[in-house]
Amino acid sequence: MSQGISPLADALVSCSNARRDTSRSAMPTYKLTYFDLRGRAEPSRLLFAVAGVEYEDVRIQREQWPNEKASGKYPFGQMPVLEVDGQVIAQSIAIARYLANEFGLAGKTNLEKAKVDMIVDAIGDVSKGLGEMWFANDEAKKAEAKEKCLTKTIPTTFTGLEKILMTNNGGDGFFVGDSLTMADLIFLAHTDYHVDQLKEENTMAAFPKLTALRERILAQPSVKQWVEARPKTKI
Amino acid sequence: MPQYRLMYFNIRARAETSRMIFAAAGVEYEDVRVAREQWPAEKASGKYPFGQMPCLEIDGKFTLAQSRAIGRYLANEYGLAGKDNLEKAKVDMVIYVCEDIYVGVRNIFFEKDETKKAEMKADFVVKADSILAALEKLLIANNGGNGYLVGDSLTWADLEFFVRMEYAPFFNAAILDQYPKLKALAERVSSVPEIAAWLKKRPKTDF
Repeated sequence: MSQGISPLADALVSCSNARRDTSRSAMPTYKLTYFDLRGRAEPSRLLFAVAGVEYEDVRIQREQWPNEKASGKYPFGQMPVLEVDGQVIAQSIAIARYLANEFGLAGKTNLEKAKVDMIVDAIGDVSKGLGEMWFANDEAKKAEAKEKCLTKTIPTTFTGLEKILMTNNGGDGFFVGDSLTMADLIFLAHTDYHVDQLKEENTMAAFPKLTALRERILAQPSVKQWVEARPKTKI
Repeated sequence: MPQYRLMYFNIRARAETSRMIFAAAGVEYEDVRVAREQWPAEKASGKYPFGQMPCLEIDGKFTLAQSRAIGRYLANEYGLAGKDNLEKAKVDMVIYVCEDIYVGVRNIFFEKDETKKAEMKADFVVKADSILAALEKLLIANNGGNGYLVGDSLTWADLEFFVRMEYAPFFNAAILDQYPKLKALAERVSSVPEIAAWLKKRPKTDF
C-alpha cells in the first residue's frame, strides 16, 4: 500500500499493517476446566457470556477427577483452571478478575476496581459461610454454622452490600460505576443459592435493592441467553 | 498524594501485607491500630462497610473494606501488582493460595483446646507442604526462581508470601528448609531496604 512519501515510509507502513493483521487474527484461545457444576466456575462462564467471547467449557466428571488431579496439570491440585495461550491460571476469582480485566468488566479506574473487589470478597465471605453450613462434618457443627450464617454473615454482608448499591446512583443501576461489572455477575451466581437452596429461609427478603439488582442482571440479554442455554446443574 | 488511614487491630494478620506495600512503595499513611476495647464503639459507628477491619480510608471521603481489595488497590496504584493482566492474574493466584495458609494458621493460633490444636497443626503441616511444593514449582518456573514469584520484580505476591510465612513457627518453624528457592525469596524480601526498615520499626505483636 503505497503512501507515495518514500520507499522507507511505505515499507514501514506495510510492516505495521502486517503486524496489526497478525494481532487481529491472534485472539487468545481460552479453555476453562471445572466439574460439571456452576460452583466456582460460573462467574467466569458468565463473564465469557457477557463479553461474547468463545471458550472451551470443559466439564470433568467426578470419577475422572482423581486421574486428572494426578496428571500434575493443575498448579494447586484444584479446579477451576483457565488455560490461555499455553498459560495456566488457577484460583477461581483470580481467573474471573483476569477475564473481567481483559473484557472491560472489572471497573474503569483503580478505585472502581477496588470497589468491585471489595464487593466480590464480601460475597465470598457469604459463600464460605454457606459452604461451612452445607459441608459440616457433624450435625452440631452444621447447626452452629447455619445459625452463624443466617443470623450474622448473611444479614451483615447483605446490609453492607445494599448500602453500597444505594450509594451508587440510588441503587437502581449496578454495583459500581454505570455498567455491569464482575461484581454484579458474581452476585448473580452467588444468589442462585439463596433463591434455590435457601428459598425457605427467604434470605433476600430484607434487601429490596439487591433483589431488584438480581432481576436486572438476569434480564441482560447476554446473561438471559446463557442462563437458558447452560447445562442445568443442582449447584 | 492521597491521605490514607489504614484501620485494623494491633496485629499483623490481615493488614500486614498492605502495611508492607506502603513500606515498599515509600508511601506515607496513618497506621491506625484500634484497641480491642474500642472496637465495639467503632463498629457501631457505621463507618466500616461490613462492620469489619481492615479498612482503608482515602482522603477522608471513601472507605474501602476487604484486605485483598485494599492490598490490590495499593499495589496497582504503586506499581507492585504485576505488569500486565496475565502477570496480575498470576499474582492474584498466589494471593488466594496464601489465604489458605493464613486461615490454617489463624485457626491453630486461636484454638484453645490443646489436643485439638495439636491435631490441627499436624493436619495443617500436610496441607502447607502441598501448597509450598506448588509455590516452589511456580517460583522455579519463573526464570529459575532466583528472582520473584511473578515477573522480574517485587510484587505484592512476594510480600503476602513473606507475611504468611512469618507464621511458620506456629506449625513448623523450619518448613522452608525443604523449599530452598522459597526460603531464599523470603530472605530476599526481608532484605529490600524499605522492607528491612519496616520490619525493624513496626510494633512487635504476637500474631
